[in-house]
Amino acid sequence: MSDILINIPFTELCKIEGIERELVVDVVEYGIVEPIGYVVDERVMEGRMVGQAEEGQWLFETRSIVWIQKAIRLHLDLDIDWIAVAMVIELLQQKSDLEKENERVVQLLQRFVDSEKTL
Amino acid sequence: MDFKDYYKILGVESDADTKAIKTAYRKLARKYHPDVNSEKDAEDKFKEVAEAYQVLKDTERRAEFDELKKYGSRSGGGYQTPPGWQGSQRSQSSQGYSNQAGSGYEGDFSDFFNSAFGGRSQGFNQSQQRGVRGQDIEIELPVFLEETLQQSEKPIAYILPSSQGGQVPGIKKNLKVKVPQGVMDGEKIRLVGQGQLGSNGGSAGDLYLHIRVVPHPLFDVSGHNVLLTLPLAPWEAALGTKITIPTLAGKISLTVPPNTPSGKKFRIKGKGLKTKAVTGDFLAIVKIVMPAKTSTESEALWQQLAAQEQFDPREEWSAKS
Repeated sequence: MSDILINIPFTELCKIEGIERELVVDVVEYGIVEPIGYVVDERVMEGRMVGQAEEGQWLFETRSIVWIQKAIRLHLDLDIDWIAVAMVIELLQQKSDLEKENERVVQLLQRFVDSEKTL
Repeated sequence: MDFKDYYKILGVESDADTKAIKTAYRKLARKYHPDVNSEKDAEDKFKEVAEAYQVLKDTERRAEFDELKKYGSRSGGGYQTPPGWQGSQRSQSSQGYSNQAGSGYEGDFSDFFNSAFGGRSQGFNQSQQRGVRGQDIEIELPVFLEETLQQSEKPIAYILPSSQGGQVPGIKKNLKVKVPQGVMDGEKIRLVGQGQLGSNGGSAGDLYLHIRVVPHPLFDVSGHNVLLTLPLAPWEAALGTKITIPTLAGKISLTVPPNTPSGKKFRIKGKGLKTKAVTGDFLAIVKIVMPAKTSTESEALWQQLAAQEQFDPREEWSAKS
């Protein structure tokens, strides 16, 4: 049960506004977002064997949705090819990871230095 | 309704050629695209720029716009589309546009665009023909760090926006959600069909819960590890001690060896956050603290120590100079 909560199957994903089947296939083929597993006969198979699965069986992490949407918007709105989109998405993800990491480190640092916020 | 000067929006002259318009659009679209620009008004600016480009890149629409511009600049104050203005016929069914490769953004445009170029009819027709899926809803779900140790059940309350164009007030919803063990900050939980109801037989949208792990007064989280700052008095650090420390799973005792420096980490395996696949560790990080005041007796003892000790804490400095 909890698996389905944090994952989303391909068919459900394509019901979300602005997400079309062919575009999702492009997004995956260019490695922008990877399925985390696939579903066979309603059983969830996790792992890297995704290559053998049909696209209709793909299973994505729920938090991937926002990146898939971003990728598709960038591709359509700015008319940029998928390779460039892949690079942009990767950098945006790195940026978001770094921001999170920075927030964490600042919080930790504040336990060690005087509580003045500015260093 | 305001008249929109598309030339001004793109920053081009009114006699600019198609190439200059395209270049100006690309530059601005790249700058303001809401997926790369996190400023508040970026999205509005992007829409404006996209709208301007939709008109100016097309010879017919551009000619129409030039006509409107002559009219609009004369009429000062609020803008009204000239009576009897028809707009181009083919813009009524703008399929031709959206199928062109690289036609760009086709989202919601301003009232001015809709009245001048008839974009409004599009969305209207669509909703007449087939059921519309309800909107997805996203809400934040604060979770305490302790709650992530095992599956927990949380009540949530939210308001479903009505699907009849705001005529009916929203519906209050109460749900109980099973939050899986080991959820992390930023993760999303999806509840199928718990979003806005669809209309015309369309299916309901989904509800997304955006997990926000509430900062803990004692513990920090790094990946799956849990960090605790461990304050020690200088003599505790010097002589070593045995103390009881709090962890997420209760108190445990920790032996601090003699000569423990500030910043030293004590790792307690397997006492961090748990998911199905990984179990993190618990890390206690030493921070040496001083009493706010020192008694005369203690000061005498420190004096004695200072006189006796050869240790140079700034050895590195003198070696370099």
